[in-house]
Amino acid sequence: MMHEAISRRALLAGLAAVTAAPRLSAQETALSVPWMGWPEEQVRPLMAAFEAANPAIRVREERLPLGELLKTLEVRLAARNATPDVYIVDGPLTASYAARGHLVDLGPVLAAEKDRFLPSALAQGSFEGKLYSSPIATSSQLLFYNRKLLADAGVAAPSADPAQRLTWEALLPMAQKLTNAGSGVFGFSFENSSRPYQILAVPQSWGAPVLGPDGLTATGYVDGPGMVASLTWYQQLFTTHKVSPANVFDNGVIQQMFGAGKIAMVLGGTWNLEGFEKAGVDFGVAPHPYFAAGKPVTPTGSFHVGINPRTRNAAQAQAFVKWLAITPAMELWLDLRPYPPVLKEVWEKRSKTTFAAPAWQIVQHELVHTATPRPATPGYREYEDYLRLALQDMQGGAAVQPTLAAAARNIDREMRKYR
Amino acid sequence: MLRSRGVHWWFLAPALAGLAIFRLLPILIALVGSLFGVSIRGDVRFVGLDNFVVLFTDPEFWASVRVTLLFNVIINPLQLFVALGLALLVRPPGRGIIAFRTVLVLPMSVSTALSAILFGLFLEKNMGPMNGLLEWIGIGAQPFYRDMYQALPTLIGVATWKGAGYWMLFLLAGLYAIPESVNEAAAIDGASRWQRFRHVTWPLMKRPMAFVLVVDTIANFLFFAPVYILTSGGPAGSTNLLMFQAYQAAFTHFDPGRALAISTVILFIILVFVAIEFRMFRPAEGS
Amino acid sequence: MSGVVGEARGGPLRYGLLSVAAMVILLPLLWLALASLRPQAEIFRPAVEFGWATFIPSRITLANYAALVRGDFPRAVLNSTIVATATVIAGVLVNSLAGFAFAVFEFRGRTLLFALVIASFMMPFEAIVIPLYLLVNAAGMTDTYAALVLPEVASGVVIFLFRQFFAGLPRDFYEAARVDGASWFTIWWRIALPLSWPTVATSCLMLFLVQWDSFFWPVVAASGPDHTVVQVAIARNVNFEQSDWGGLFASTNLAVLLAMIPFLLLQRFYVGSLVSAGIK
Repeated sequence: MMHEAISRRALLAGLAAVTAAPRLSAQETALSVPWMGWPEEQVRPLMAAFEAANPAIRVREERLPLGELLKTLEVRLAARNATPDVYIVDGPLTASYAARGHLVDLGPVLAAEKDRFLPSALAQGSFEGKLYSSPIATSSQLLFYNRKLLADAGVAAPSADPAQRLTWEALLPMAQKLTNAGSGVFGFSFENSSRPYQILAVPQSWGAPVLGPDGLTATGYVDGPGMVASLTWYQQLFTTHKVSPANVFDNGVIQQMFGAGKIAMVLGGTWNLEGFEKAGVDFGVAPHPYFAAGKPVTPTGSFHVGINPRTRNAAQAQAFVKWLAITPAMELWLDLRPYPPVLKEVWEKRSKTTFAAPAWQIVQHELVHTATPRPATPGYREYEDYLRLALQDMQGGAAVQPTLAAAARNIDREMRKYR
Repeated sequence: MLRSRGVHWWFLAPALAGLAIFRLLPILIALVGSLFGVSIRGDVRFVGLDNFVVLFTDPEFWASVRVTLLFNVIINPLQLFVALGLALLVRPPGRGIIAFRTVLVLPMSVSTALSAILFGLFLEKNMGPMNGLLEWIGIGAQPFYRDMYQALPTLIGVATWKGAGYWMLFLLAGLYAIPESVNEAAAIDGASRWQRFRHVTWPLMKRPMAFVLVVDTIANFLFFAPVYILTSGGPAGSTNLLMFQAYQAAFTHFDPGRALAISTVILFIILVFVAIEFRMFRPAEGS
Repeated sequence: MSGVVGEARGGPLRYGLLSVAAMVILLPLLWLALASLRPQAEIFRPAVEFGWATFIPSRITLANYAALVRGDFPRAVLNSTIVATATVIAGVLVNSLAGFAFAVFEFRGRTLLFALVIASFMMPFEAIVIPLYLLVNAAGMTDTYAALVLPEVASGVVIFLFRQFFAGLPRDFYEAARVDGASWFTIWWRIALPLSWPTVATSCLMLFLVQWDSFFWPVVAASGPDHTVVQVAIARNVNFEQSDWGGLFASTNLAVLLAMIPFLLLQRFYVGSLVSAGIK
């Protein structure tokens, strides 16, 4: 297998690079590349494979811990100098960096490659019609259910067929049946119940716009009737029906609860396939639910790469970004860290092996048909922050409409600087 | 005081050079920066006091000032007295005291961010052992940092858990500096234990206590990682410390002018607090 | 040899209070330490099933630690040790000199300079990180040990600490030495420092902990693989998708225990001064 050969060679090159501190020869260029803080064995081999293919370029990657990634990039970019050359971009922040002059238009660089990407991934890297960041990974969400808990409660397992996906209206009574306050079991939970990444799919499935068409207007949209109605439904999961654990935000606790059999159904990312397997849960997967009156919508998007406009190594930086769009590179990356790929070819080549499992069949369907990127606005980070706080307050019982109206006012205030 | 004929510069130069380059110059840049606005394309423009005017007319800012003052009025005396109590407890030799002393300082090597992650899990409602314990002994599970009345006390508790042993060390060094003979003389004169504490230990501990109170106050005004990790300023603004506001302005809302204006306000509030504290603990002359 | 709280040396009240304090301190750390010995799937136990299993692992595994040793953690410990040791040595010398000057000499502008020293740690680090980064970057120091060490050597807090202690020493000591013809450097080195061992020990710990706990600045200034420090290596266990709790707990636990080594080494300076006081 070709990819195995590549990864073995890359691994050796990577080890050599780690043990012997590389010294630059006269013709070599070193690229400064801030990257996510994934384990070294998932990062270095990818860089080493690029170096093997481009002997005149060295990649000096920096593995920044998640909590410090965005902060550190802000400090570096605020300096507005030649470093970094290339950097990892959280997909929905593409517009933010582009509007502030921190990204190069990659249109000319990737002109010949555009058709090879999944359209939803390209859309996440685009702003005002231009491609500013090249996707290297995407994401999708699945409904994970604990087979034993469903069987014990006499609840039929949901179908894995996207054509027969659950409606939210059908999911609620199932979750109510599965909830058992006495033994501390909850029927259903979102994995990240206050992250707009995951929750925006609820109003979007309802058919509600989540931000004005100009990408800068929140009032009238964030607190519009569709948002209020769909998020009232969301709030009731926690406050009225109590089928979801309230006030659990972002610390991996939901995953642990599912692993311990304390949540029967979790809507979560594909990364859980491996995690729940390790936890020893007998689980099945089904597609993301939707509102009967609306349409199926799934969260998507992940990491991209972009080029600093002030780099002194533009040619080398472009070579790196272009290399990350070739199939063997993305296959190696898939083997190192199994994010859903962004290249159609990778899906095709692996359809009989990696992606033969039913879970990946669902993911592939979602990425092509239902994946909806987060709104392309230069103020995404501000938007996300205020919306997240609003969602947290709603779980605590705050009235939906005034909470959203306040969030909309705050977002509008922060958006003024982009007008 | 002694006249030095210029030799003091040799003593001061290395430290002052380091502070000037790596602290005071960046601080000066930050203070001046609060008078500028930065456009999203990075163009810098003088705006005078505009950043402060916007800040002072913002009700969220004043709410945050109130939370910050409340937090500091409670946490600083609390940590000082807990640390002093612990120092007095471990000062005299005794069986196993070294072991107790080591246990008390253990948390100082847990970084602030990690202490927040640790307590986030330890006090979590569904999977945290603390709530299991409270449930088991019949008190019932508590929301801790997820409740608008418990969140600030929880943060104060986490900070004190981490800090008490650390501040104890400074006071312990101070206690060791009190000559044994002073205490013995007082004991021979028939002074009670309280009298000896009040008239011998307390006056001689003023310098170390001033140090702990001042440094602790500064540290607590700049405290924010647990807010960021555990509460995001909530619930309902109950933990919305100024420092968190400054952080949000700089790194989430991309508004450097506002961030530096808040930082400047923090600096001035600290100056007022520290000036008062120095006055309170001024050692009696000639002691 | 009576202590400050006198005869309470073995009193039940004293040990009772200490035991309560120790319990409060230890419970979260004990939970962390025991959790780091569990297999990944069992690290958390549901609160509703509280019992011995909440704390005591059903089966002990060193897998989390074995994974640490294979990863970048040992290198991070080495880097942090290098950085912290350099900072402690340089920092104690530089800052005690300055503290001595503030405590002993009278000179014009002393109050103003001292106010600046105090002000140097009043500004949030987040507010000065951009200018600081520009400075270090302009000096070509990014991704070097120097970028990690130099900014932390001169410390307003440690100068303040030394000043407080030196100001408390009887002035006759210095004057007598001056009359004997000793230079000021000799007085600082031979008289002031040896008299202040607990303060020196405490400053060593302070400077050590600043580096051992430092996090944001190392990420900004030196995050290449050769200069990863302990807290950065620990933080890499946290991911948006799936955090490595076993790795996080094991590395945190090790970092806490390793940081105790300097404390235990320095502890004897507290005990030492006590013994000498007793002998007198």
